[in-house]
Amino acid sequence: MASLSLKGIEKVYPNGFHAVKDFNLDIDDKEFIIFVGPSGCGKSTTLRMIAGLEDISGGVLEIDGKKMNDVEPKDRDIAMVFQNYALYPHMTVYDNMAFGLKLRKVPKDEIDKKVREAARILDLEKLLDRKPKALSGGQRQRVAMGRAIVRNPKVFLMDEPLSNLDAKLRVQMRIEISKLHENLGATIIYVTHDQTEAMTLGTRIVVMKDGVVQQVDTPQNLYNTPCNLFVAGFIGSPQMNFMDAVVKVSGTDVTLTVGQHVLKVPASKKQALINGGYDGKTVVLGIRPEDVHDSQAFISNSPDSVIKSKIKVYELLGAEVFLYFDVEGTQMTARVNPRTTLRTGDDAVFALDMEKIHIFDKETELTITN
Amino acid sequence: MDYSPELDHALKTLRQITGLTMDVKADTLEEEEQALRQIQCLCSAYQEKYNKTHFLQGLITGTIASYDILERAPRLHITKDEKRVLFLLKTRGTLDEAVPEILKNLFPARTKSYLVPLTECSIVILRPMKSCETEEDIVKIAHTIVDTLNMEALASVQVAFSSGFDTLAECSAAYKSAYLALKVGNLFYSEQTVFPYNRLGVGRLIYQLPVSLCEGFLHEVFGDEIPDALDEETNSTVTRFLQNNLNIAETSRQLHMHRNTLIYRLEQVEKQTGLDLRNFEDAMTFKIASMVMNYLQTERNS
Repeated sequence: MASLSLKGIEKVYPNGFHAVKDFNLDIDDKEFIIFVGPSGCGKSTTLRMIAGLEDISGGVLEIDGKKMNDVEPKDRDIAMVFQNYALYPHMTVYDNMAFGLKLRKVPKDEIDKKVREAARILDLEKLLDRKPKALSGGQRQRVAMGRAIVRNPKVFLMDEPLSNLDAKLRVQMRIEISKLHENLGATIIYVTHDQTEAMTLGTRIVVMKDGVVQQVDTPQNLYNTPCNLFVAGFIGSPQMNFMDAVVKVSGTDVTLTVGQHVLKVPASKKQALINGGYDGKTVVLGIRPEDVHDSQAFISNSPDSVIKSKIKVYELLGAEVFLYFDVEGTQMTARVNPRTTLRTGDDAVFALDMEKIHIFDKETELTITN
Repeated sequence: MDYSPELDHALKTLRQITGLTMDVKADTLEEEEQALRQIQCLCSAYQEKYNKTHFLQGLITGTIASYDILERAPRLHITKDEKRVLFLLKTRGTLDEAVPEILKNLFPARTKSYLVPLTECSIVILRPMKSCETEEDIVKIAHTIVDTLNMEALASVQVAFSSGFDTLAECSAAYKSAYLALKVGNLFYSEQTVFPYNRLGVGRLIYQLPVSLCEGFLHEVFGDEIPDALDEETNSTVTRFLQNNLNIAETSRQLHMHRNTLIYRLEQVEKQTGLDLRNFEDAMTFKIASMVMNYLQTERNS
């Protein structure tokens, strides 16, 4: 397997569209890296540049220390699995997996060994004689993976490979891919716009927007300490609540005023606001739905972080309830225990877990407190 | 017997396409040249009559007369009247030998699809359309071609396709439309890999306008100070705003941006260009003007 290094990678199309800007990333051997971001953010373009399917307009791409910018895709020792894969309809599973190797004139016995090994890893051994039309969606997907595995590449590149599968199958295949990564010990770069896929699969995640890397971190760190407003809003479902708040410093106390609500900033967060000279300025206050509490005990213990509102929508999801309400014109969501007594139309009191709040600069949109 | 390289090549070609092996007895150079011409004539006559690829190439490039189509198509077992779609596939470099091999297996002969090599980097796929197939299905097939060739041949390809057509005589027009789609697609949507002829939109119109007319239009919109290009951040914001039918809430949600930030950016564009993008007419003018600017920039760069 292999390590990769992307240094200052740029992609500018002939029509002037700047798709990827100054992309820097070092990928270690056996890492499972996820590129995630909204559509058009440049994640697939970056993957295609690594594959050699797109020219690199600027910067250096290295695989195992060797510059790869001008190396043909077939000489990069990579394998790809893309969204719109097709299996050859008249060939068996075995032949589908063997076809790429036959094209490259690999000896028959070697092909047989590789195909059977890939089939074993993917649990396709009993299906080797079947034609694609006799396979389920998940089995077809595994055959497509098998075609990549038999190449025994240094790096696997996957571009939304599960997008064409239904929700249930996607969850199953996510587990399969995770297992595959463990079994193969492979370096995998995986593109998705689905943040659940990103959070569950990746050892590290690269969040992109408008061709620019926003943050590279572990799933946990991205969730807990997003570096800017975009990452905070993109990672997490339902997304983080945001409100404009005015900072007020009185001696050693710091408060955030959201309309009529005054919230006391805890010691762990206030120093950054004081040092940053935010007194009197408007910042963006972010809080995740699970950190908005409706339990009486929490509210009693947090008198300095109470907000009041009327419930607009009550949504029961079985193990949890989402409550939607407005605070000073901004829609908020609380993720609470299903035993809550609150219902649509009720007047509600919530308390924010102020230790979990995120504060962002309104101008730069960068985090102040993380 | 030793032949001149030309004659040797002609004999090999003859054997390749007809299976016939022939000896030539020529005492003079003149006789040898005459033999060469005759063998070449034999080859082209045979190809004209029996070679499917040759016939389809002629059909696509429009070098076969319509009465000839009626006569030759049945002889080659090609159905004259059948709804088809024409895919034009172009690779970045020379066509790798794996590409036609993969396509042959993706579109087996029994599906009555034909692969027609055109140049060293382009190939045409003539595929029958099922009555239940919609344009969406064809778009999906085009994406499948691209992704499969990316995965299996590790080849960078673009695919354009024509609208559906009913007779072989329309092949040439279908090729021209796919060719135009590839050209216009590369100009205006170069980050994409699939270009349907039916979805070229304003790009096709602009492509067919003379440069002077385009420049005149930009002067009319922006006055004397034509911006070279908007900064990238503004550009992507505006593009998303237009994609979302001028919906501020949806655009700010998709861009993970506060609505006031979006409004501020739109106001900056208005200051710079005099166009209020929240107004449909101004938004439309802006969209066309930015495409014209991109077109002129690409033309200048090329």
